Amino acid sequence: MKQLNYKFVIKYILPGLFLAFCLAIPGFTSGYMLRVLNIALITYLCVLSLYVILGMCGQNSFAQAGLWGVGAYMAANFVMKMGAPPLAALLLSSLGTAVFAFVLGFAFFRLRQYYFTFASVGLMAILNGLFMNWNEVTGGALGITNIPSFSIGGAIIKSEPGNFYVIFFICLAAFFLMKVLFNSALGRSFMAIRDNEIAANCLGVNSLLTKSIAFGISGALCGAAGALYAFLAGYLSYQTFTFQQSTMYLIMIMLGGTMSPSGALIGTLIISLLQEWVRPLQNYMQFIYGAGIMILMIVQPEGIFGGGKAIYDKYLKHSKTARTEAD
Amino acid sequence: MTSISNTQKQPVLKLINVCKRFGGVVAANEISFELYAGEIFGLIGPNGSGKTTLINLITGIYSVDSGSIVLDGKNIVRMPIHNRARVGIVRTFQHPRLLGRCDIRANISLGKDLADKRKIPDTDKYQERMGVLLEAAGLTNVDLSDSIEKLSYGQQKMLEIVRALLSKPKVLLLDEPAAGLNRKEMSYIINLIDFAVKEDICVLLIEHAMDLVMSICQRLTVLNFGQQIASGIPSEIQENPAVIKAYLGGSRNAEN
Amino acid sequence: MNLQLLVSGVSTGVVYGLIAMGMVLIFRAVGVMNFAQGEFLMFGGYLCYTLNRLLHLPIGLSLILASLLMGAVGVIFMRTSYWPLRNAQARAIIVSAMGASIVLKEGARLIWGSIPVTVERVVNGSTTLAGSAVVQWQYVAIIVISAMIMALVYLLLEKTFIGHIMQATAQDQYMASLVGIPVIMSIGLTFALSAFLTGIGGGLLAPLFFLNNTMGATAGAKAFAAIVIGGFGSVQGAIIGGLIVGLVEAFGGAYISTTYQLVLIYVMLVLVLMFRPQGIFGGKIQEKA
Repeated sequence: MKQLNYKFVIKYILPGLFLAFCLAIPGFTSGYMLRVLNIALITYLCVLSLYVILGMCGQNSFAQAGLWGVGAYMAANFVMKMGAPPLAALLLSSLGTAVFAFVLGFAFFRLRQYYFTFASVGLMAILNGLFMNWNEVTGGALGITNIPSFSIGGAIIKSEPGNFYVIFFICLAAFFLMKVLFNSALGRSFMAIRDNEIAANCLGVNSLLTKSIAFGISGALCGAAGALYAFLAGYLSYQTFTFQQSTMYLIMIMLGGTMSPSGALIGTLIISLLQEWVRPLQNYMQFIYGAGIMILMIVQPEGIFGGGKAIYDKYLKHSKTARTEAD
Repeated sequence: MTSISNTQKQPVLKLINVCKRFGGVVAANEISFELYAGEIFGLIGPNGSGKTTLINLITGIYSVDSGSIVLDGKNIVRMPIHNRARVGIVRTFQHPRLLGRCDIRANISLGKDLADKRKIPDTDKYQERMGVLLEAAGLTNVDLSDSIEKLSYGQQKMLEIVRALLSKPKVLLLDEPAAGLNRKEMSYIINLIDFAVKEDICVLLIEHAMDLVMSICQRLTVLNFGQQIASGIPSEIQENPAVIKAYLGGSRNAEN
Repeated sequence: MNLQLLVSGVSTGVVYGLIAMGMVLIFRAVGVMNFAQGEFLMFGGYLCYTLNRLLHLPIGLSLILASLLMGAVGVIFMRTSYWPLRNAQARAIIVSAMGASIVLKEGARLIWGSIPVTVERVVNGSTTLAGSAVVQWQYVAIIVISAMIMALVYLLLEKTFIGHIMQATAQDQYMASLVGIPVIMSIGLTFALSAFLTGIGGGLLAPLFFLNNTMGATAGAKAFAAIVIGGFGSVQGAIIGGLIVGLVEAFGGAYISTTYQLVLIYVMLVLVLMFRPQGIFGGKIQEKA
């Protein structure tokens, strides 16, 4: 009985408290810190996209920041050139990026294992080159400025707290969609490919199609993140959507643990906040950041959440054996 | 049903002159046999004789060099692996290949997912069917939300067969299901094979445990160095001098 | 055919080839791509700068000392970012190498500052070939020195005992340890050789392009493209891929557009992957289980 209670606490009460805490954040946080959090949450969507393609499907991609950029530039163009309302632009750019990723996936996933990863590095460089040079669509090196803020209906959301709630709810929705995906036949086929591709094929899983769908879903997440970023920042530059940004997503998910959306969240927050915390050290900031990544990786190669979960499982096992011995 | 002789029934799976070489090694040379619904067909032979290769050829992991593999009258040699599974050819592996980082339920559900892809309608009876299968496999008191690592090696092998059977296949290919199992677990394997036979699934059994093969298979074929050296009913095979030579020769080499 | 472009393309190409060779050696030894390889180039360049400009040693001696020091850096790198994670997943090693690359990059900035610097040329002056093509001697020097180093490395790997030990370890660490090869030493040597090769490239390129602490990423990216284009996992492929990337960069920059240089290289990489994943000159696909 006591056992059940612990599970209940961990499954419902703690997340409930966390949710309430999150909703209250704008009440006690300064504008600057809230901006940091908003950016972190947008980053979380991109890290979540890596969770789908890497954590679930086992395919490492370095193109996520590129897809993020595709979403951002799409949204800016939809709003500024075609006069679409921001909400529609958000949905359209998410969908558009998903289709873009899905089609590319069909070409790239003919390659096996790390050859896909190589192609994704190439894709990232090509996309960045396009962002920098395709003046008509991306504004080239000058970028796009004066992107209007997000709005729903007629209500324009300009304030930092307002943006926080919009982004937070989209992240929350994405989080739960990931949980649904995890328990669906599609999610299982992703994981079957990750764990043993041949065995998955022998259970009727079409590798090429399934991986492309996974890449498409990750594209949808990045696209939404891109649109949100465009509305929040109001300014897009090719220097944002770089290979380095993609590697940062990988660092984040590896630190948090690739096996769950919660791990992705923890990794994102740690790195985002770490960057803020070391900011006062200025000159040494990046150096410490790099060293911190190395140390964290060596101490906890399975990721922080991965390690935490292992301890939790161990605890459960202990209490279980204790129970059976008592019986 | 069993009284109808094989000549009147249509074979479910038919191999016609299947050949495969790897460089200079002939892994399968002109292999031909037929499998009928509800039949247990044994495939035996010393180590390295090409048994697993043959399963890989049937499931499409390797492509054949020549010859045809016919399922229900349709040649499937050009079909990709996943489509072969979807038309009803399902296998297990020598070492179970399960989702190592997922719970048991997710692993079993993959079988249900395949049944859905095969558009097998009776989804409402899925729970019941799963219960029967888990009982036959001796897995009734296992917590389905446990991770797969909590199962013993034997239980993992059993789970793989349960997963395969949940998809209601036409052909079940078992690659050494009894290897590494104890007596008790062996009986569960037999339960599961019985279940398959009752559903008119044809079972192709690769096995080293001779007593098991001889007692449950209706017909056998013996491979050695990719050649089909004998085919027939178990009692004939046991008397066949070529088979005895291949096995004694093989085992003597293995022991020394 | 523009001779001037050809020479500059080949000379940057051979340096990419050196970096790519270093990457391939590490990949073959540990089965993981080294994401900090480009930083070795930058660091080697700066070491050469320290010896040449701050300690006023002659450039030849500076190059040799700098690349030997890079060997030591390689061993330290291996001991800190690879060895503790040797039993972890490949991704963990990649991430720790990324951390290490930030450390190297920022370390260089803290030590040498962020103002671009340069070192002396090995050979000064230029010559005019075929009428109008002006060829700087430094380019020729780069080609000759790199070719000599490549040949020496080939001899080291194929003909010497140490080379055989390194290759044996690369093929199967466990078997190597069973026959009495100290695996840590052998892998350490591989990293040292890899950093040595890449570091000398930095010293050679420095007079042509200014050194700065962020140059590693671009150089690493080009070397990576070279490996994939040339044929993954093979040392010869790395050299040929490096040459191809250097030439595409030189001619693409001159005839198409300098802004699309990198894009051009990567479009080529993707095309090669699509139609010939084993690379242009690669044989069968080699995969480390």
